[in-house]
Amino acid sequence: MDTDGNNQIVRVDFAFKRELARKVEGNLANFCYQCGACVGDCPATRYSPAFNPREIMLKVLYGLEDELLGERNVLWQCTNCYTCHERCPQEVKPVEVIISLKNMLADRGLAPPAADKVIQTFMTYGRTVPDNPAINKQRAKFGLQPLTAVPMDEIRTLLEPEVESGGES
Amino acid sequence: MEFAIRSTLAKLDIEIVDLEGASCCPDPIYFKSKDKVAWLTVAARNLTLAEDLGLDIFTNCSGCTATLSETYHLLQDEELRGRVNQRLARIDREYRGTSRVRHIATLVRDEVGYDAVRETIKRPLEGLKVAIHYGCHLLKPSRIMQVDNPDDPQVLERLIEALGATPVRHENWHLCCGKACDSDEIPNQMMHDLLATVHKEKADVLGMICPTCFGQFDHGQMKIAKLFDEDFHTPPIYYFQLLAFAQGVPYEKLGFERQRFKPVALQRYEEVAAEC
Repeated sequence: MDTDGNNQIVRVDFAFKRELARKVEGNLANFCYQCGACVGDCPATRYSPAFNPREIMLKVLYGLEDELLGERNVLWQCTNCYTCHERCPQEVKPVEVIISLKNMLADRGLAPPAADKVIQTFMTYGRTVPDNPAINKQRAKFGLQPLTAVPMDEIRTLLEPEVESGGES
Repeated sequence: MEFAIRSTLAKLDIEIVDLEGASCCPDPIYFKSKDKVAWLTVAARNLTLAEDLGLDIFTNCSGCTATLSETYHLLQDEELRGRVNQRLARIDREYRGTSRVRHIATLVRDEVGYDAVRETIKRPLEGLKVAIHYGCHLLKPSRIMQVDNPDDPQVLERLIEALGATPVRHENWHLCCGKACDSDEIPNQMMHDLLATVHKEKADVLGMICPTCFGQFDHGQMKIAKLFDEDFHTPPIYYFQLLAFAQGVPYEKLGFERQRFKPVALQRYEEVAAEC
């Protein structure tokens, strides 16, 4: 059966699953036994039934790359509230598996503009909210010191990709 | 908020040491979604700055605490720590895992205590109804954050009681502020339902300990009220603003004029204090 209940044989895509497993905490879905504890208190599911963490974990178990890594992806509807992490009896940490899938989307150039913007700002200023004269003027009004500089050379050096060594690139 | 934190912690005998060269934690949502190893590396660099000083690290934001706590937790894994340290070696740094990470609310609870907070209060906020919003990242995942029971937390309620005020747990207290969700429909509906039960309690303010949630409930509340044609207007307040006010800092010094919804209910305690 596939995930829509059609009586078809699903071939597990192990290449996809190996790629996912190389991500930090990407291999945890293997312990999922589809109990659905992650669904009951999921606020995203409550307001958008299209987002269902149990169904996402099932697709991960099958390795359905096309369904998981499409454009305009439902994964970004996750509120990152960590309730599924709290509820899961198998320590699958569904939210972390979803974040690993998002890392794969980003590798394929499919991160949403909001994510790219945060990274860009960080790469420029070392902060999510850039420091600027207006902020420091406000700070002075409260008797606070100006924001200190972030050593961007260090940050940029750290963010250079890793050299291929059998791990992820 | 920063002014309020610096003012209140000094009165609680906590000395703040600013970390020179610290960057954003970085954020636990988009940065982590883009590249979790890069996220861990930047967070580990910040932790090494505290390690160099031999100090623990605290943050005033639940998201920052989540990033740093998760990093501390994940880097107990030797392989992952080795991988992150390979990157840190490029700038002659090494993460050792010697500094503990704490949220400011737990720092005050564990190092100062509720009774000692109460002793610093000049203006007890008797009769002030404070609806409670914990937000997600202070409490969950509890195995990593180790702050409180996420299904029945106490820390914020007890901290508010220490000011003489009355905490109110509204029906949808456990819902999330929606800031980290890349959709309109979900956060809008969720904020609406959350604010509806806050409004029902007729609380004077909505108390919280996360600056990100704060933004959602200030300009976000105005947006939701308009969108759903509702009369939502409970002013959000960051716990340390409330503590500073109760410790005697004048209302005008706490930045309330910059908020969309101003906690004017506090002004009656200034008048009472002036008459004494």
